[in-house]
Amino acid sequence: MIANQISLNPEREAQYLFTEPYTYSNGVIVTAADTDDITSLEDLEGRTTAQSSTSNWAQVARDAGAEVRSVEGLAQAAELLAQGRVDAILNDNIAVLDYLAASGSTDVKIAGEVEGESTAQAFAFRQEDTALRDEADAALAAMADDGTLTEISESYFRADVSTEDGEGEADLSDRASDNTAWDVAQDAAGPMLRALVQYTITLSLLSMAIGLVLALLVALARLSSRPWLHWPAQGFISLIRGTPLLVQLFIVFFGLGQIGIKLDPYVAATLALSLNVGAYAAEIVRSAILSVPRGQTEAAATVGMGYALTMRRIVLPQAARTAVPPLSNTFISLVKDTSLASVILVPEMLRVAQDYAGASTEFLALYSLAALFYWIVCALLALGQGRLETRLERHMA
Amino acid sequence: MSTTPLLSVTGLRKSFGDHEVLRDIDFTVDPGTVTVLLGPSGSGKTTVLRSLNTLEVPDAGTVRIDDVEVDFSQPRGRRDAEREFFRLRCQSAMVFQSHNLFPHRTVLENLTEGPVHAQGRPEEEVVAEARVLLERVGLANRADAFPGQLSGGQQQRVGIARALALQPRLMLFDEPTSSLDPELVGEVLGVMKDLAAEGWTMVVVSHEIRFAQQVADQVLFLDNGVIAERGPAAQVIGDPHEPRTRQFLHRILDPI
Repeated sequence: MIANQISLNPEREAQYLFTEPYTYSNGVIVTAADTDDITSLEDLEGRTTAQSSTSNWAQVARDAGAEVRSVEGLAQAAELLAQGRVDAILNDNIAVLDYLAASGSTDVKIAGEVEGESTAQAFAFRQEDTALRDEADAALAAMADDGTLTEISESYFRADVSTEDGEGEADLSDRASDNTAWDVAQDAAGPMLRALVQYTITLSLLSMAIGLVLALLVALARLSSRPWLHWPAQGFISLIRGTPLLVQLFIVFFGLGQIGIKLDPYVAATLALSLNVGAYAAEIVRSAILSVPRGQTEAAATVGMGYALTMRRIVLPQAARTAVPPLSNTFISLVKDTSLASVILVPEMLRVAQDYAGASTEFLALYSLAALFYWIVCALLALGQGRLETRLERHMA
Repeated sequence: MSTTPLLSVTGLRKSFGDHEVLRDIDFTVDPGTVTVLLGPSGSGKTTVLRSLNTLEVPDAGTVRIDDVEVDFSQPRGRRDAEREFFRLRCQSAMVFQSHNLFPHRTVLENLTEGPVHAQGRPEEEVVAEARVLLERVGLANRADAFPGQLSGGQQQRVGIARALALQPRLMLFDEPTSSLDPELVGEVLGVMKDLAAEGWTMVVVSHEIRFAQQVADQVLFLDNGVIAERGPAAQVIGDPHEPRTRQFLHRILDPI
């Protein structure tokens, strides 16, 4: 087991055994292709940059007097740049070159270097594995001598990043993008459909099923005159409805992870979405139950039914008719809310679209395709709602 | 020499907040007889009726139907109370003013719902009985209709059949004709008369004076939460002693 592309620093060098560096990276300033007044850190004073919130480049930009906008990744940052919504991006050249080569974007360019922010990357080994490290070093030296490293670098980055003073400048002459929005959408449609079926739809169905059971229990508890049932139900509804779903997802996934409850992303998303649906649907079920006339419960009592039987055979079937339209609404919202699960690593449909958008910069095409897919699913649900209502109405004169 | 009453009510009291609705209600009903409760609205007659199956829980007093007695004055836990109330409730069946049929079940299912699902009796047997009952109330051909497809009078006749299907000791009627169009009242009263003739024990809250005159063995006139006058129909309606009874009858029989 080895770890690669580790940036060298004194702390790490004390802890691990490293090969000779095989790539060198340095900070670069990226601007829109038609910007020519930003070439160095000094020019960033008073400008706006887009940075990943967790990267140390954000701090470098702040120190240079720039305002920092947090984004999800380099592709989003580059799009903001191309659209003129920010002035620059700071990042290391390997990441930027990788992005430029993969996306074929000609809207942005490397406009300058960040002095003194150069790092070297190497393979890391355990301290005792000196023999292994020496073998790796020999292999790297051979590859450097015969030009293999340069060749690999050129093929991925269209620039040589394998030597300290190498051509850190990408040769982008023949790089004009030959993928149209239509091509990208066609490529993405398959994987997006798969993600739709595998994650978006299953997540929706599972969360709705669990959420409905939960909603029924919470609604009955809330309607109970026993305070130890009534108040917890009330509190649960208030808490879930009073906090954003995004925060709930973060708490369930990242928060619980910190106290040792490490849930799989799919499980965490199902849990958070079920709780969310449960709280909203509980209020719908409660009001639907209350909409059944009192006389029905009384008649059920006089034919000898107890609470459970009355609920199951008399009240709930009638409440169902009232509850179907608002519950369908909740379900439709749920389908769309599954897109939030992408923030806790569930590779659902929107995440797939984002990945394609990041690589190709075809944001409009891919996000529109995602919107279309969501719309189709929701339209089918609305159709199902209509049929269910007709079925439940069959006894109405 | 008298038979043991099927129903005895003693010392029944009930308040809604500060308002005393029932004050010391006592009466008995012999098996096979019809008792009609008369009285102005707000007199407490419906509350009396609903106390007999604990849809209304009295504050004090006892209700005994056959061999099941509940003493409402006695303090008890919620669970015990529910069990006792349930046992008392199973002795009677009720026909409601607004029929309260189950709208999502067919006419036949309305009849079988209680016997099959609550009493746990075999479905085949119950269905056969239910068809006989529907025949009796003249609705054999509407067994598969939903209540919403019937007229008000038909709905109320289904309500009566549903109550009969429970094979109760006592039939309770809460103003069964009050929400019907006048021309539909006759068909419901006709069925009730037949039941009386067959020997059913009935307690009826009603404003139908002629029905009371023809069918009732006992008439209770309630006013202001007490039984102001009681006796055979011929006496209470034909020759009332109490001025307020006379006044009430006068208003009902000659409203203009």
